[in-house]
Order: sequence, then structure tokens, then C-alpha cells
Amino acid sequence: MTTFRRGAFTRCGCLLLAATLGVALLTRLSRGATVEDVALMKSAERQKILVEGAKKEGKVSFYTGLIVDQVVRPLKEGFEKEYPFLQVDFFRGNSENIARRVLAEYQAKRYDVDVVSGSAATSMVQRAGFMQRFYSPHLAEYPAELKDSKGFWGSTNVYFMTLGYNTRNVKANELPKSYEDLLNPRWKGQMMWSTSRGSGAPQFIGNILLTMGQEAGKAYLQKLKGQNIAKSTASARQILDLVIAGEYPLAVQIFNHHAYISKAAGAPVEWQPLEPVTATINTIGLAKNSPRPHAAMLFLDFVLSKKGQKIVQTSNYLPSHPEIPALQADLKPGGGRFKKVNYINPDVLYDQGNEWVDYFQSQFLK
Amino acid sequence: MAKQQSSETYNFPLKSQPAPQARGIFSLSMATRFDAQTCVLLIVSVITAYLVLPPLYSVLQTSLFTTKLTGELDEFTFRYYQELFRELQVLGPFLNTVYFSIGSALFATIIGAVVAWIVTRTDTPLRGLGYFTAFASFGTPFILYTIGWLLLLGKAGPVNYWLRTFLNQSEPVLNVYSLWGMVLIESFLWSPFVFLMIAASFRSMDPSLEEASAACGARLWQTLQRVSLRLMLPAFFSVVLLIFIRSFESFEIPALVGLPGDIRVLTTSIYLDSQRMPPTYGRAGAFSVLLMLVVAGALYLYFHVTREGERFHTVTGKGYRPTLIQLGSWRYVTAALLLVYSFVLLVLPFLIVLWASLLPFYMQPSFEAFSLFTLKNFVTAIHFPKITDSIKNSVLLGLGSASVVMLLTTFASWILVRTKLRGRWLLDLLTTLPLLFPGIVMGLAIMRFYLIVPIPIYGTLWILLVAFITRYIPYGIRYTHAGLLQLHRELEEAAYTSGASWSNAMRRVTLPLLTPSFLGGWVFVFLLSAKELSMSILLVSPQTPVVSVAIFELWENGQVGELAAFGVIWTLILVSVAIIYYLIARRYGVQQH
Repeated sequence: MTTFRRGAFTRCGCLLLAATLGVALLTRLSRGATVEDVALMKSAERQKILVEGAKKEGKVSFYTGLIVDQVVRPLKEGFEKEYPFLQVDFFRGNSENIARRVLAEYQAKRYDVDVVSGSAATSMVQRAGFMQRFYSPHLAEYPAELKDSKGFWGSTNVYFMTLGYNTRNVKANELPKSYEDLLNPRWKGQMMWSTSRGSGAPQFIGNILLTMGQEAGKAYLQKLKGQNIAKSTASARQILDLVIAGEYPLAVQIFNHHAYISKAAGAPVEWQPLEPVTATINTIGLAKNSPRPHAAMLFLDFVLSKKGQKIVQTSNYLPSHPEIPALQADLKPGGGRFKKVNYINPDVLYDQGNEWVDYFQSQFLK
Repeated sequence: MAKQQSSETYNFPLKSQPAPQARGIFSLSMATRFDAQTCVLLIVSVITAYLVLPPLYSVLQTSLFTTKLTGELDEFTFRYYQELFRELQVLGPFLNTVYFSIGSALFATIIGAVVAWIVTRTDTPLRGLGYFTAFASFGTPFILYTIGWLLLLGKAGPVNYWLRTFLNQSEPVLNVYSLWGMVLIESFLWSPFVFLMIAASFRSMDPSLEEASAACGARLWQTLQRVSLRLMLPAFFSVVLLIFIRSFESFEIPALVGLPGDIRVLTTSIYLDSQRMPPTYGRAGAFSVLLMLVVAGALYLYFHVTREGERFHTVTGKGYRPTLIQLGSWRYVTAALLLVYSFVLLVLPFLIVLWASLLPFYMQPSFEAFSLFTLKNFVTAIHFPKITDSIKNSVLLGLGSASVVMLLTTFASWILVRTKLRGRWLLDLLTTLPLLFPGIVMGLAIMRFYLIVPIPIYGTLWILLVAFITRYIPYGIRYTHAGLLQLHRELEEAAYTSGASWSNAMRRVTLPLLTPSFLGGWVFVFLLSAKELSMSILLVSPQTPVVSVAIFELWENGQVGELAAFGVIWTLILVSVAIIYYLIARRYGVQQH
């Protein structure tokens, strides 16, 4: 495929696409096992068969929302060292863009992607019917909330959403320690949050409604509405920067590791968990018509294994694997600063997210 | 006065049928010219239609159909239009949008036009600063630019700090999260565009008309008002139209600046709609279709106003190089204005970015911050993966799209201005439409189109080039159209009567005279394409990284300092390319005359 692309770049012939489609079709026919067979294989020979098949495939195409510089590149290097005959090609985008790209490619019957990863991407692609269930021996090591009960996705890493505050503007004794504390008149007009569905106000609302129940949750949110939290379409990270610059003392729903990174650089910022803490899962799964299923399965195995999770850890991300702690251990639950976590399942986010967005728009927007 | 007479007598036979005795000579040249005209019309129309119609079709479809989870079309519906009209009935957001767009269009035009006048028409010292500021202010990454202004004017920012100390207030004096904050930042963003456009128009001003006005005893201001500004109506219409539309449909500034202060505009809910799953763009599509109707109306009017093209001719057979207005001691005032403009538009934002790039995390300017200065961000930025590839690709794309857009739109404008073909205003509409396509819908449309048609450019730089050209045709057409309206037909006619072929006349007369507009547009498209994000993010492949996407990734990375460092490097590269090009081109242009 790589050579095809380079060729297309310099030449410009109309037959090339037809030719690739033909080649793709031929390789699909000549390969005996279907993608499903490979994905769900559990035999004792599994590893051997995968390696044999992968040697013919030569590469993996990985569409991901993870940051290339920070974690994709180390994972690629680790994997290519383990399987020198394979190469990882990646496309990076946010969940929506990954989903759009996969959907558009599948509609045009152009099957290039093998592995899809992102916070909401796998759910979106799966709803369209373009994901494949898979089995990996490592999935057994993960708790139920960090893998799909139907087998469509596993998890690479997790994010925890907490308060972030400017240590110069918020004194230790007035720091909110619970959701109730946010209702203190002291914070009226002093807080900011993002409008983002996946990491902002709608997600916060979802967490409240899921954990407090509809009635109590809505009663709480009505009181919170009176606090006039400033809204911004900026990302959680940008909002934290505004807090560091002193524009607002408190940010609601930011990534705790962002606050940690800035604090380590000397910024006057700290994070504070409100329990239960909202957690987002970064998922990973196999595309339905993966053209290189053997290599794709080896890659999935690698990322979910302790070895792969160690790479996630050393990249300063928060590994999903329960036995691999974060480099800065207290960023994960059980690290000493918080215990109660609400892992928001991507399917729940997909199904109920619109309600949360609607609630936010109708109640919190003027 | 003598000039006007001469041009009338000269023009007369050309407007009417050629005199019978001259028919023999004329019919030959008319025939070849007619062929050339038809050819150009055909080629330009086909290319433009090829570029514009697929996304247009896609926008219409998006607004009229619901989509399935797979992205396929589902049911026909008017729902999105109904929702839009319901939204329009709520007065608040609608009025905010109108105030915001009119305010930005007027304010940006005033700033840009005043600076353009100072730079091109007066003997003010430091005039080169105007161009430099315009180029350099484009280089700053958009997000950084907006956030920079927020930090500068925000509650904890230095401006409020000084005002508070000065006025002895305990609360912040200015609230940037307001309508005026939005207008201010949007206007600053657009004023370089106004400057480039109006400056091109001023450079082609006919001094004899102004001299005539002065000879009749008009003061400088009266001359400006009654002669210069009226002659520049096409240029002014273009900038006001473009900025008004862009502000009307923009959501970035209203969202980042307005939303925290609870200022809602029409696009706010459209933007928040895209947070739903599966994402639908129906309302965004309906919104842009509605805008298209409004713009079609505006263009139709504009077309009628400028139909009597002779009224705007300033470049005629007589010497046309405008003389500089001697301002006397006033030139120090204008120089001061120029300095303020450069400071606000260039130095201030650049300083904020530079400041952020030298710090491990962003903090407001203070002495404490100096002790934290570090070059670490620059080291990281230089080692950003594929940075050289990104820069190379972005520069290539900028050069390619600027050149193709300007060539294409020069010919399109020539058809619009010089020929009498019926329905040619439709070509104007066609070339303006891409302005109204929502970036994401257009990106998707282009992606789908090239996944389906057997032209193998998906995943290569070519698809980005096609997308950029389509996106920036509207800007090119406004530059060249306004520029061409200023050129008197007699110059081309003179070439034809001297036996020049159409292509010869075009190459040796029209194009060289159009240089100021052409260059202004070229630089603008070049700089704009270097910033394009909403389509690039969908269309890039791992083999074709571009700078704007790299910047976006750095931003998502959350490292403001690294992003700022990258921004500083990129600004310097962009400015050098723009300046080198401009110097070479200007020298070339001057020799032509």
C-alpha cells in the first residue's frame, strides 16, 4: 500500500485505484481464514499462526486518538522491536475524525485500517457495524469496567477528571472537597468548564446523574446552575491554562495528569478529586474488514500486555492494566488521593451522551 | 478634465458597433478574441465547476437528509431548516450575530483602510511597516492568537491590572468576554486582509482625478470622500462582504470569547450540535444554504452596481502611477498611527507568543517569570516528529494553492469584467460559494468524492491542494475582480489595435497592470492556506504531515510553551517567504511598467 501511495503521488493514472481494489480483493480471496476467524482464534497454536500470517502481511495500519509524540511512537518502536518484520503505520486524529475517516473509507469500500483506538471512536465505528469482536489472552487480566462485555474493545489507558485550581487564588481551607462544596457562594462566577461532550460539562452532568440518580442528581444540578459556571469551547487543557494564568480560580472537569505536569514545571496549580471521580476510557479494537488481521491481533495483544502497558506507563500516561501503576502513582485510584471512580463506559456515553448535552444546553446556557 | 474628454471620445466607437469601414480589420481581431474568450470561459467554468459543485452538492444533501450511523443518507427532511428558523426567531442570538458581524466588518475595514491609505498614498515615514505587519500577523497560530488576546485583556491580564491601578479600582475594569471583545479580536484578525486588498486598490489609483478635485479647491478630506473612496467601491464592497460573511458564520471567536460571558450567536448552537452522536451537520448545512441565498442577493446587487464598470476605471492610457500626498508635519501623526497599528497587531501578539515560548508554563508578565526563562520548548519543537516534512508540505501547498487560485480567478474576473456574456454573475456566485461551506462539511465532501471517483489522490498532498484551491477561490476572485475593475478597457484595446493577440495582450498588458491585486491576493492565500485546519485534519495522511495539524496536535498535547515555540519558528518562516516573494515580485512588477 505504501508503494502504491508513493506511486500515486508522482504518477497520476486513473487505473491505479481499480488496480489496488483488485489486488485487495485478490489478497482477501487467497487468504483462507476470515478476519473473524483470526480475531476469535483461541487455539494453542494461536501465537504461531499469528506470527506466520503477520509475516506475509508486513504492517499494521493504526488509527488513533493518542498523541503521537508522547505515546504512539514509543508503542510503535516497542512493537517493531518485538516483531521486526512488521511496521506500524498510524493516522492520528480525535475520535470524531477517526470515526469519520473509517466510515467514509468503508462506504467507499476502501479497507485500509486494521486497529482503531480512541475514547469514543470505537463505539461510533461499532454502531455503524464496522468493528470486529476479538479475543486476546490478556483481556482476562482486566476488570470488567475496562473491557467490552461483547468483546469489541479493550482499553489502553484511562483519564481521570478532577477539579483544577490556582494555588494562589484558592486557600487550602476553602478548597472544595465534595460536589456539595461547589455550591458554596464563594465560588459563584469563579469556576469554568468546557462544553466538550467527552471531557467537559456534559460528562460532569452524566457522572452526577449516573451516580446520584436522576432525581437527586437533577436537584443538585439545578443548584449548581445558580453558580454561573463560565463555559468555554476551549479544551480542558486550555481551561486549565486560563486557571494557571489567574483568569478563573477553579476549573471543573480537567485531566488530573495535566495539572500534575504543569505543577511539576512549577506552575501554581493543583488538582483535587471529587468522588466519585469521572473516568474516561481510551479504547482499542479491530476493524471489521481489517486487511491484515494477523498483524493487527499481534498489535492488540502487545498493547494490552504488561509489556505494552509498561510503555504507556513510561510515556507518563495512566495505564489501564490494573497491575501497572502510573509513574506518579497518586494520579490513579488507590494511589492515595482517591478511591471511588465512575468509569464511564463508551457505550453509555454514546447512548446517553445526547441527553447530557441536551440537559447542559437547555439548563446551563443562557 | 482634458483626460476625461479624451477618454470619452476614445471610448465611444468601442462601445458602439465598429464603424463599417473598419470592419475588415476589426472582424479578424474580434474573431480571434472571441475564440480566446470562449476558450477561457469554458476552461475557467469547467475547472471552477469541478472544484465547487461536488462540495455544494454535498452541503445541499447534508441540509436535506438525515444520515445513518454508517454516514449514508437516510431520509429526506426539512427538519434542519425548521430548527434553523425556530432559532432565528429567538431575537438574542440573532441580534448578537448581526452586531458582531457588522461591527467586525466595519471596524476591520476602518483600521485596514486607514493603514492602507497611510502606507500607499502618503509620504509617511516607516511605510514598509504596514506590509510587514500584515504578513507577520498571519503567521501566528490562530488559537494562540485568540488565547493571547484573552490573556492580555482578561481579568488577570496586564491591561486590566494597569487600568485598575491607574483608576484605583478593585474590580477588573474591562470585561473581554463580551460583544466588544469579540468584535475587537475578530477585527484585528481581519484587518491585514483589508489592508492588503485596499492597499492594492490605492496603488492603482488615478492621481489625475484627485488632482482635478484638488484643483477645483477641494480639501484633502473632500477629495478622499468624493473621489478616492468612491472609486474604490468595488474593493470596499469586497472586504465588507467577505468579513461580514466570515464573521456571520464563524464560531471560533464567538465561542472562545463570547460564551464565557454568556454571549450566544447563531453558530453557538450549531457548534454545540456537533457534540451530539452520531455527529450531524444538518443544521450547519441549512445555515450555509441560507447564507448562500443572502450572498447571492448581495452579489447580484453588487454586480448591478459595478456593471457600469467605466465608473471605477482609474488605470487608463495616461500615466497612472499615483503620486504620494505630501502630509507636511501631519506625517508624524500618521507615522505614530502606523506604529500603534504594528504594535497592537504584530508586536503585542508576537510578544505574548514569544513570552509563552520561553516559559515552562504560561504566566502573566512579571519579574518572577524572567527567572524561569528556558529554551527547552524550542528544543522540543525542533525535535517534533516530521517537523521538516510538515514545513516543506505546508510551504509547497501554500505556493501551489496561491498560484493556482490567483491564476484561475484572474481569468474568471476577466470574464466577469470584460465580457458581456449573459449570466456571468453566476460564475461570480460559483466562485464565492466555497466561502460559505462549513469547513468540516467541505472536508468530508472532498474526502468522499476522491474515495469514490477513480482519481487516486486520496492520502496524498494533491487532495489537500484541491481542497485549498477550492476553499480560497472566493478570496482570489475578490482581489482580482476589484483590481480588474480599475483597469480601463482602452489599454487592452490599444494592444489589440496594435495587432496583439488575446494571450499577448493578457500577458503583456493586463496581467502586469494587475500586479498589485494579484500579489496582494497571492500573499493572502499563501498565508491563509498555511493556517487551514478544519479540512486538513481530515485529509492529511501520515505520509503528508502539514504544519497546521502539527500545531493542533501540540495544542491537544497541552504544551502551550512548545506550541508557542513552534509558532515563533513558523511565523519567522512564513514572514521570510512572504517578504522574499514580495521583494522579488515588486521589483519584477516595477520593471514591467
